[in-house]
Amino acid sequence: MRLPLAMPLSLRVPLLVAGLMVLMGIVASQLVLSALNRAQVRQLTDLAEIEFRALSTSLGPYVQRDDIWEMFDILDRATLREGSFRPISAALVDARGRVMVSSLPEAHPIGSNGAGLVEEAIRLDDIRFDAASERIAVRNTVVWQGRPLGQLVIDFDVQEFAAERRRALFSLLLGNAAAILILSVAGYALMRRVLAPVRRLTREMEQPGGTPQPIAEALIPARDAELAQLYHNYNGLILAVQARTATERRLAERERYVSLGRLAGGLAHEINNPLGGLLNTVDTIRTYPDRPDVVRDSAELLERGLKHLRDVSRTTLDMHRNDDGASPEKVQLALQDFDDLHLLIRPEIERKAQILDWRIEADGSCCKGLPAGSVRQIALNLLLNAAAVTGPGGKLGLRVKPDGDSLCLCVWDAGPGFSDSVKPRLLSDEPVEPGGGLGLRVVRDLVKSLGGTIDLGRSVHGQNEVRVRLPLRGRHV
Amino acid sequence: METPWLVSRRGILAAFTGLAAISAASGAKARAALRFGLTPVFLDNDWQLLERLSAHIEESTGLGIEYVQRRTYKEVVALLLLGEIDAAWLCGYPLLQYPNRLEAVAIPLWQGRPLYRSYLITADDRTVEDFAALRGDVHAYSDPDSNSGHLVTVARLLELGERPEQFFARTFFTFGHRNVVRAVARRLARSGSVDGYVYDALAATEPELLARTRVVWRSEWHGFPPVVVGSEARGTRAEALLLRALFDITQTEAGREVLRMLQLDGFVPPQPDSFDSIARLMRLVSERG
Repeated sequence: MRLPLAMPLSLRVPLLVAGLMVLMGIVASQLVLSALNRAQVRQLTDLAEIEFRALSTSLGPYVQRDDIWEMFDILDRATLREGSFRPISAALVDARGRVMVSSLPEAHPIGSNGAGLVEEAIRLDDIRFDAASERIAVRNTVVWQGRPLGQLVIDFDVQEFAAERRRALFSLLLGNAAAILILSVAGYALMRRVLAPVRRLTREMEQPGGTPQPIAEALIPARDAELAQLYHNYNGLILAVQARTATERRLAERERYVSLGRLAGGLAHEINNPLGGLLNTVDTIRTYPDRPDVVRDSAELLERGLKHLRDVSRTTLDMHRNDDGASPEKVQLALQDFDDLHLLIRPEIERKAQILDWRIEADGSCCKGLPAGSVRQIALNLLLNAAAVTGPGGKLGLRVKPDGDSLCLCVWDAGPGFSDSVKPRLLSDEPVEPGGGLGLRVVRDLVKSLGGTIDLGRSVHGQNEVRVRLPLRGRHV
Repeated sequence: METPWLVSRRGILAAFTGLAAISAASGAKARAALRFGLTPVFLDNDWQLLERLSAHIEESTGLGIEYVQRRTYKEVVALLLLGEIDAAWLCGYPLLQYPNRLEAVAIPLWQGRPLYRSYLITADDRTVEDFAALRGDVHAYSDPDSNSGHLVTVARLLELGERPEQFFARTFFTFGHRNVVRAVARRLARSGSVDGYVYDALAATEPELLARTRVVWRSEWHGFPPVVVGSEARGTRAEALLLRALFDITQTEAGREVLRMLQLDGFVPPQPDSFDSIARLMRLVSERG
C-alpha cells in the first residue's frame, strides 16, 4: 500500500496502524474461524456418531424383520426431536440402492432409487462442514448382529452451527472494526500530540511576510531531548541567518559610504576647480569696482560658476535624499537624472584621464514608472566599477535605450571583464564572500527589486558589457 | 376440548407407566382383580381412559381390573387361550378363529348400532374412485388378525378375482388402525385398510391427519369388535361383574366419560348372528384354494 506522500504524518501513521490492524484482524479472524470450524466439525461428528449408533440399534431388529412401519416410526420420531443438531430427514437404503424406508416417503417412496441419496451424503468418518450450508447429509452402514443391513442417510440440520459461525464472524468484524477505529483515532490524537512541537516549528518557519524568529527558550520542550536539540538547531540557524544579514547590511552601508567618499573627493575637486576662478573674479571686482563692464563680466562669470556649484550640490543632495530613504521610490526617473549622473561621474573619469562614451538614446517617456533613486544608484555603481577596472586613459561608456517594455542600461568598459569570483555578486543570490566590495550585490538587489534582469555580454565595440533591463509600468516585485 | 383417546406412540409409553402403577396398586388384591387384555390395534391407549374405565368398574361392581397390553391380536388371543387374562377387547376375526375357546360377551354400540365397517383409504390428492385403481400400491394393513384392517380387503380382492398377494406391489402391517391413517397421510403407503369407526373417530381428535386422506371404498357392515372372555373365565363371578359394569356403563359419571371419550353409546349382549358376515369372509379366504 502506498500512501500519498503529501498526506501529513499525523494522518499517515494512524492510517498505517489501521492498515496493520486490518491485516492483523484478518489473520486473527481466519485463525479463530478455522479453530471454530474444527471444533464444530468435531462436535458434529460426535453428535452424528451418537445419532447413528442410537438409530442403528433401534432399527436393526426391524430391518431384519422388514417391519416397514416400525422403521418408519423410528426415523420419523428421530426427525421430530427438538435441538440445535437434529435429523431433518433420514432414509434407509438397501445394498441394491433401493429405498427401504424414508422419513420423507413423499420424496423417497419405498422401493425408489436411493443411490443418489447415498452418493450425495458424506461418510460419517469424513464429516466436513461448509459454512454456507444449513444442512448436511451423512451416511453410515447399519450393522445388526455383525451383518450390514443397509446405508442409513441422515440429513442433519446445522443451521445453529452456521448461525454460530455467522455470529462469530459478525463479532470478529465488529470487534476488529471497533478496535481499528479506536486505535486509529487514538493514533491520530497521539501523533497530533507528538508532532505538535514539529508543527510549531513549521509555523515559525512559515511566518507569512515576516522573518523567522528564534523560538523562546520557555517553549522548547525540555523533556524531549531530540526535539529540544531540533529547536536549538533551528534557533542557531535563525541567529546565523540574522547575523549574516546584519553583516551584509553593514557591508552594504560601508560600500555606500566608500562610493560616497569617492564621489565626495570628485565633488571637492569639482568645487575646488571653479573656486579658484571665482575667487579671482571676486578680486577682479574688488580691483575694478568702477568699471561696469568688468563687473558685469565678472558677475556673469560668478553666476555661471555658482550655478555649476549649485548643480553639483543639488545632484549630491538628490543622491543623499535617496540615501536617507525619503521616499525615493516616489520620485520618477527623468532624463535629467542621467545628466546628474554624468556630472557626478565626470570628476572620477577626469581624475583617471579616462574617456567616457555617454549615449542617452531614450526620451523622457521611456523612463516613466521607474524610481529615479534606484536607477541612478544602479548606473552609478556600474560606472564606478567600470572606471575602477579600466586603467588610466581607458575607455568606458553608458548607453541608455528603450527595449520593448523595458529600459536597457548598458555599461561597458575596456577592462578585463568580471572574474569568476566576482560574477556571483552580480548574477546570483549566493552569500557574498568577504574581501570584496558590495557595490555589485547592491546593483543585483536593486535590479531584482525592480523586477529586472542582468546579463553579461559584448558591446558593439567588443568590450565587456553589463546589460540591465528594467521593466516599465511598475512591474516591480 | 375433548381429551383424545387415540393418542400417539408417546402416549402409549405414558400409558404403560400408568398401567404399571395400576398393576402395582392392584397387586395387593391379587387374584381378585380381573385381567383385561388390550392391543393398540383397536384401542390406542390413553391412561386417562383406562383409569376412568377402572374407576367405573370398581365403583359399580367393586371389581378391581388389571390391564395387560400386547402389540398384536395374536399375542392377546394367546394370553386368553392360556388363561393368563380373563377378558379382552378383540376383533370378530380372532374371536371366530377359536369358537370353542373364546366367547363374545358384550358388543359396543356405535351410532346406536353394534356394527362397523372397513374403509379403504388413500391420499387426499389422489384421483382414484374405485378399488381396482389401487393396483400396484404400497398398501398398509393394521393387523393380520384384524377384520376391518386386513380380512375385509383380502376377501374383497378375492371377490374381485384378484390375487391379494399380487394386487398390491408391497404391503406391510402397522399394528394400529391409527397408524394406517398416519402411513397414508404421510405417504408411506399409497393406500390402507382401516377400521371405519376408528377413522371416523379421528375426525374429532385429529382432523389435520384425516384431512390428508380420503375414503375410496367402504365395506358392508360387520359386528363391532366385542369384549371376549376365555373359556376359563366363563361363568365366573368376575365375568358376571364385568358384564354388569359394561351394560351399566351409563350409570356412573366415569362410565359416561369413558363412552364420551370412545365416542360410543353403550354395550349390549351379542346376537347369535352378530359375526356371521365376518365368518362368511373367513370362509371365502379359507376356501380360496
